[in-house]
Amino acid sequence: MRGDADAMTTTQPRRSRRTEILENRPVNLDGFVEEWPEKGLVAMDSDYDPAPSVRVENGRIVELDGTTRDQFDFMDTFIADHAIDVASAERANAIPSEEIARMLIDTHVSRNEVLAVTRGLTPAKILDVVELMNVVEIMQGMQKMRARRTPANQGHSTSARDNPIQVAADAAEGAMRGFAELETTLGVVRYAPLVAIALQVGAQVGRGGVLTQCALEEATELELGMRGITAYAETISVYGTEPVFVDGDDTPWSKAFLASAYASRGIKMRFTSGTGSEVQMGNAEGKSMLYLEIRCILMAKGAGVQGLQNGSISCIGVPGAVPGGIRAVAAENLVASMVDLECASGNDQSFSHSAMRRTARLMPQLLPGTDFVCSGYSGVPNADNMFAGSNFDTEDYDDWNTIQRDLQVDGGLRHVREAEILQVRNKAARALQALFSHLDLPPITDEEVEAATYADSSNDYPLRDVLADLKGAQAVMDRGITGLDLVRGLEATGFHDVAENLLAVLRQRVSGDLLQTSAVLTAELTPLSAINDPNDYQGPGTGYRLQGERWEQLKKLRHVTSATDPETEVG
Amino acid sequence: MGTPTTSPAPERTVRLRELGPARRGSRPDEVVIAVSPAFADFFTKTIVDVPHAEVLRQLLAGIEEQGVTARIVRVRDTADLAAIAHTAAQLSGSGIAVGVLARGTTMIHQKDLPRLSNLELFPQSPLLDAQVFRRIGSNAAQYAKGESPEPVPTRNDQMARPRWQAKAALLHLKEVECIEAGRDPVEVEPAFELSRAG
Amino acid sequence: MSLSPTIELRTEDYPLSVNRPDLLATPTGKPITALTMEAVVSGELSPDDLRIAPETLLLQAQLAEAAGRPQLAANFRRAAEMTAIPDAEVLAMYNALRPRKSSGPQLAELADRLENAYSAPECAALVREAAEVYARRNLLARPPAADHSATDA
Repeated sequence: MRGDADAMTTTQPRRSRRTEILENRPVNLDGFVEEWPEKGLVAMDSDYDPAPSVRVENGRIVELDGTTRDQFDFMDTFIADHAIDVASAERANAIPSEEIARMLIDTHVSRNEVLAVTRGLTPAKILDVVELMNVVEIMQGMQKMRARRTPANQGHSTSARDNPIQVAADAAEGAMRGFAELETTLGVVRYAPLVAIALQVGAQVGRGGVLTQCALEEATELELGMRGITAYAETISVYGTEPVFVDGDDTPWSKAFLASAYASRGIKMRFTSGTGSEVQMGNAEGKSMLYLEIRCILMAKGAGVQGLQNGSISCIGVPGAVPGGIRAVAAENLVASMVDLECASGNDQSFSHSAMRRTARLMPQLLPGTDFVCSGYSGVPNADNMFAGSNFDTEDYDDWNTIQRDLQVDGGLRHVREAEILQVRNKAARALQALFSHLDLPPITDEEVEAATYADSSNDYPLRDVLADLKGAQAVMDRGITGLDLVRGLEATGFHDVAENLLAVLRQRVSGDLLQTSAVLTAELTPLSAINDPNDYQGPGTGYRLQGERWEQLKKLRHVTSATDPETEVG
Repeated sequence: MGTPTTSPAPERTVRLRELGPARRGSRPDEVVIAVSPAFADFFTKTIVDVPHAEVLRQLLAGIEEQGVTARIVRVRDTADLAAIAHTAAQLSGSGIAVGVLARGTTMIHQKDLPRLSNLELFPQSPLLDAQVFRRIGSNAAQYAKGESPEPVPTRNDQMARPRWQAKAALLHLKEVECIEAGRDPVEVEPAFELSRAG
Repeated sequence: MSLSPTIELRTEDYPLSVNRPDLLATPTGKPITALTMEAVVSGELSPDDLRIAPETLLLQAQLAEAAGRPQLAANFRRAAEMTAIPDAEVLAMYNALRPRKSSGPQLAELADRLENAYSAPECAALVREAAEVYARRNLLARPPAADHSATDA
C-alpha cells in the first residue's frame, strides 16, 4: 500500500474506470449533507426532540410535551386549545407508542378506531409512534388512513410565457388523462386573470368537474376564487416554529380566520406545509424536520381546514439530502392522513437528477394511494413549469402509465390515444378563442389554435402581444368578470357542454359539498369525499381495488401487441 | 491519501481588516457593499466555490467602472440578507447598497424602500459567477448615479434545488452561528493576496 | 330563512346537492335547482346567486360533526358568520390579525365589531383568543416611537 501511495505522488492519482462511470451517474449531481441535529438538520429520530407528555386540568391542557402552559409558544397554545381532543388526551397518550403504531397497520383495527386514539395525541407522541415504523409500515398505514377511498392526482398547467392558450390546451389534455385537480401559477403575476380563465376553460373541456386553482398571494387568490374563476385554493402556508410563522407574516389565528373566509365563499381550501422549511430558514429551534411538520399538521387540524398539501413540497432538497429523509416525508403524509386530513402528498417539485431516485421517492405515495398522489404532476414540460419544476412531467406520462399497469396500482392517470388528445386540445383552444372574443379580450388567432393542438412546449406557439394581454388581464379585474360571465360566453359561442360543466362546478359552491374532507367532483359531476367515499380498507380484499372498468382502462399503453393478431397493436 | 501534486492555479484570497464603526457616508457618488458575518471569515468562498476575494473584486470593479466609489462594511448582528442590505443602504451616501451573504446570495437595496423590498435580488446563489457579480456592481453604481439600468438577467435552473438546497441550508445555519448579537456594523478594508491553494 | 333548526342530517344525506337539494338555497332565496343554464342565459342570475348561504354552511357543519370532525364543523360555523361580511372587509380583518399589525385595543374593537355588527360570536371569540396570545408572545403592534434601527448609530 505504501509503495502505491509513493508511486502516485508524481502524477494525478489514477482513478478506476468504474469510479469514473459512477462519478458521472446523474445521482451524483444531487446534493447530500451530513446531519446536524443540534440545529434541526435531521429528518426524524433526533435526541433533541421533546419527550411526549400531556396533563389536563379543568378541561384544559396545561402541559404539552414537557412544556407547561405558562411556557407555551403560540404553536403549543393553538395545538393544545384547538387540535387535541382534551377529553381523550390523557388516555390516548398513555397507550404505548408500539401499540398505536401496530393499530395503524393492524387489519383488524378500523380507520375509525385509529382516529379515536390519534385525535388525542400530542405532537411528540405522534412522532414517537411513526418513528417506530419502517417505510413499508408507513405505506401500510397510509393505505388504511387515507381519508378518501378512491385515490386521485393533481396536475400543474403553467407556461414559461404565461401563454393562456398553452395553459388551456395542456389543462384539457391533463384533465382527459385523469387529473382531478389542476393548478396554475404565473411568471408575470399580472397575467393571472387570463391564465386562470384559460385553466378553467381547458379543464372543463378535458373532463367536466375538474377543479382548478391559481397559486398567488392571498388577496388575489381569494378574489379569483370569490369570482368563481377558480374552484379551490392550496397555497396557504403554515410553519412549525413561532419565529418562522411570524417571518411568514402570519399566526395560527390569522390562518384559521383565512380558512373560514374561504369556506364562507364556498371555496374548497387546504393548507400547505412540509419538512425542511424551518431549518432552511435557520429557525428550527433544534427540532427535527418531522417533529416540526407534525406541529404544522396539528395546527391545520385545529384550524378546521379540511386538508393539507405536505410532503416537504418546495423544500424537498433538504430532507432529500439527509439520511432517512424520504422516509420522513412519507411519514408526514401518513400523519396528515392519520389525523383525518385530506393529504395532497407532494411529488410536485424537481427532486433528483436520477430517474431511479425520482421513482423511488414516489413509491410511498403511489403504492398505498393518497388523496392526491402528486400535489402537482407537471402537465407541461418542466421547462414550462412555473412552480420551478415537478418530480414528474409530460415526458414521464408513458412511464407513469406503465408503472400503474405493472404494479396494478391507480395513480390517477391513464393512457389516452393521440387522436383524442388532439381533439380536446383543439377544442380547448377554440373555446378560449371564442370566449376571449365574446368578452372582448385580446384575440387568439387560428394559427395559435393550430399550434395549441400539436404543441409540446411554449416554444411551439406564436408569440403573444404581452402588453395587450396584460391590459386584457386588468380589464377582467376592472370589469368584474366572474365565472358566470364565462358560462354565459361559452354558451353563447356554442360550447354548450363546456358551459354546462363550468356551471356545475359553480353550482357546487352553493351546495358546500366540496368543502368536506377530500372532496372532488367525479366525471358525472357528483361530489365524492371522505363522507360518501370513506376509506374502508381493512386488509386484503377490502378498500379501493383497481379492478373492473378502471383496470381495463389502465391496461392500455401506447404500444401493446395484440394477442389475437400479433402483427398489430391494440389500444 | 493520494494528494494531487500538479500545481494548482493561484487563488486570490482576501482578509477584511476592521477599521472601526461604520458611519453614514456623505458622498452622493458612493455605493456601500455590506458583507455578512461569515463572509471572508469563517467562509472563504461561495456555495459554488467562487472565492470571496473574487466576489469583492468583481463588485468593486463593476462599481468603479461606472466612476462611482465604494466602501465595504460588515454587518455582524444578522444573517438576513434584506436586513444586511437595508442597513447598508442607510449608511450609503447615495442610499444604494449591495448586500452579499457568504454563500453568494446578493441583493441591491435602496434606503427609502421598505426593508422587505429591494431593487434587485439574486436569490439563487449557485447561479452567481464572477461576471454576474461584476454586473451587479455596475448596476448598483448606475442606481447611485440616479440612472435606471436594465436589471441583471436572473437565471433559473430547476435542478438547483436537488443539488444545492440542503447545502445552502447548511451554509445558512453556519452563518447564523457567526452572528454577534447587538454589535453594530463595522467599516472594513480588504487586503487581497495571491496564494497557492492546498 | 325557512330552514328549520330541527333538521338533523346524517352522513347518508351527503352530498346535499344530490340527496337533499330541497335544503339548498342561494343567499338571494333561490332554490339550487333554479341555477340552470336557461336562468344564466336569460340574465336572471347574478354572481350573488352563486354564493353559499349561511344556512348551508350550518348544514355542512352538521355533516362534518356527524362524520367526527368537530374542528371542521367549527370552521364552517365561523364561515357561516362571515358570509355577512363584505369581501374587502374580510381581507382587512385577516390583515389585522397578522403579527404586530394591531394593538390590543384594536383587536378588542375588531372582536366587538364582529360580535355586534355581524352577529359573529364565534369569529369574535377567535379574535379575542388571538389578542390574549399576541399580548403574551409580544405580537401586538409596537408603539411607533420604540423603533431602534442601525441608522441611529
